[in-house]
Amino acid sequence: MSFRGEAAIIGIGELPTQRTYLGKSMPGLLGDAARLAIHDAHINVGDVDGIITEGGITYPAFVAEYLGLSVRFATGSSMMGASGATGVALASMAVMNGLANYVLVVIAQDRNPALGGGGEGFPGHAGEFDFPYGPAAGANNGYGQIYQRHMELYGTTQEQLAHVAANQRFNALENPNAVFKGQPITHQDVLDSRYVNYPLRLLEVVMPCGGAAAVIVTSAERAAASLNKPAYVLGGGTGLDDFGALQKPEITVSPVARSAPIALNMSGYSPRDMQFAQFYDCYTILESMCLEDAGLVPKGEIGPFFESTDTTYKGEFPINTDGGQLSAGQPGLAGGFRHVVEAARQIMGRAGPRQIERNDLGMVNG
Amino acid sequence: MTYGDTPGGGKKKAPDAVSDYKKPLPNPSLNPEVSKPFWDGTKKHELWVQYDRRNNKFVFPPREVSPGDLTPMDELEWTKINGMGRVYSYTTVYQSSIPAFTEEAPYVNATIQLDAAGVRMTGNVLGLTKEQLMNNELHINQRVEAVFEDITPDWTLVKWQIVDEEEAPSAEE
Amino acid sequence: MTAEYKKAVPKPTLNPEISAPFWAGTKKHELWIQYDKRANRFFYPPAEIGPGSLTPIEDLVWTKVSGKGRIHSYTSIYQPAMPAFAEEAPYVHALIELDEGTRMVGNIVDMTDDEVRNNTLEINQRVEAVFVDITPEWTIVKWRRIDD
Repeated sequence: MSFRGEAAIIGIGELPTQRTYLGKSMPGLLGDAARLAIHDAHINVGDVDGIITEGGITYPAFVAEYLGLSVRFATGSSMMGASGATGVALASMAVMNGLANYVLVVIAQDRNPALGGGGEGFPGHAGEFDFPYGPAAGANNGYGQIYQRHMELYGTTQEQLAHVAANQRFNALENPNAVFKGQPITHQDVLDSRYVNYPLRLLEVVMPCGGAAAVIVTSAERAAASLNKPAYVLGGGTGLDDFGALQKPEITVSPVARSAPIALNMSGYSPRDMQFAQFYDCYTILESMCLEDAGLVPKGEIGPFFESTDTTYKGEFPINTDGGQLSAGQPGLAGGFRHVVEAARQIMGRAGPRQIERNDLGMVNG
Repeated sequence: MTYGDTPGGGKKKAPDAVSDYKKPLPNPSLNPEVSKPFWDGTKKHELWVQYDRRNNKFVFPPREVSPGDLTPMDELEWTKINGMGRVYSYTTVYQSSIPAFTEEAPYVNATIQLDAAGVRMTGNVLGLTKEQLMNNELHINQRVEAVFEDITPDWTLVKWQIVDEEEAPSAEE
Repeated sequence: MTAEYKKAVPKPTLNPEISAPFWAGTKKHELWIQYDKRANRFFYPPAEIGPGSLTPIEDLVWTKVSGKGRIHSYTSIYQPAMPAFAEEAPYVHALIELDEGTRMVGNIVDMTDDEVRNNTLEINQRVEAVFVDITPEWTIVKWRRIDD
């Protein structure tokens, strides 16, 4: 199979190449080039549902937020000089498979002598408009605010979400790779742990660690001959926060609301068919709202759900059976990946003492 | 909020600037020229944001193109807006990654929904005691008003003072 | 104001109780509109439930707003439909977009005949509410052009 004849470029935009671009920055130039290409293609900004950037300093989530694009496919091509060409190849694969209708591939370089050397890390609005006000560390700040709002809108309580952490710690006791192995905690322990930033308590927040994870993906044909029982990938979807986590209209709705339906449609299954979930859990509240947005629990009802459902590996709907990141630890970006690994492990039937019984079909939110 | 930024990256002014302000100064790392009118405004104790004339909406944080429409900068007009708003959500910070802030904990970091449609700003909310904060007495939709704090000779921050909800007018007045 | 006001006065036929705070506000020369606390937005005209959100009245709060806005669009009226307006023709009937995001209709004051006939008004012109006491009971909102 190839993408020959399956994809085409329909619009182009280019800015004059100059020694310097005074007064402009990279996102601004990206915006100008994007506008030209979109106009040239005779589509609207709102039609763009995929984005590919060079993926380094102008990573897709940042660019989508700055330009206000609402996409369901996004990636960085990260191929240095070949980033643009690679981007087009990736875009072709995406549109050919229906992952997006119109993919914007956009790359820019500013040569503005006034910029550069302004601070550590990537340029962004946070250094200018957020840090002077002392946000809590990293993502703690945004999720604290999201948690607060979820409590306000739906009456969710800390007692309810404490079950997330407690149940997952139970699962982690059977995970020799977990950073908190051998350290049980109770529901009350979660509620007694100190506030990092209200309403987030210490045991509701993930611990950054070291580690790594990897998988091998092959065709179904080759998988049939594998010595392991294969874990088939039945569908996948992507979602990005388009206006930034705190700027979007309702902060208690995550991009999973967009990506889950895509994945489910592709698979031909509905949320009801899922037998387990491995969901990103840097915070109890994040996992909670994503479970809602995926359709596994009605919006606003995650509190009562965790109150009344056994989500340990022994229970009726197992979630994060290896302890999740909250109890197994977060080795950076490998933390999210580990949810994929645990899902595969469970389907393959190799989870040992924490093996779940109904292990045919599960949902992963990475 | 943009992930990937690291805190503590405040651009320090000339070393001989008289300032023992230890918290991060605003760092306009994206494009200082574009956001300058905002900071010039705060120095005058006024709130100025961009207005997209084509799509009839305010744009904040400041940008070179209007998000969602890509309207170019020359059609974004700086406009003075009213400093009134409400708390959209907030978190009470007990532990920051910036030591100078942790010293003052607990304090509030909030997202303010300004009356001006579609404008959200993050900031600190003032007017509650530490005890009230620890009892979670701040509530969502609390009315607030912008106040301006001159932190150094070059920078003025916008913070948010809680104010009472004014009672709706009634006929007999 | 002493002469008899011949033009139409506001008639709150839908539910006078709901819009009463708006008119009590205009009498004090203040602009008050409702804020939908659940959908986090202002709306106008006054209503018992939030438009689009159906937010119930307990979560709608009357809020004094800035009185600032921009001309979203306008039309210049040469042939009024209502005889009482004939003496003012030509005049402008505008759609004002408040800074707060919602829209109101109104007249632009201080326009000369020439300005009206030459369509000198610009879309996005910044305006500010002014309050006109038309009768002892009613004060209506009109708009004047301002610089920013």
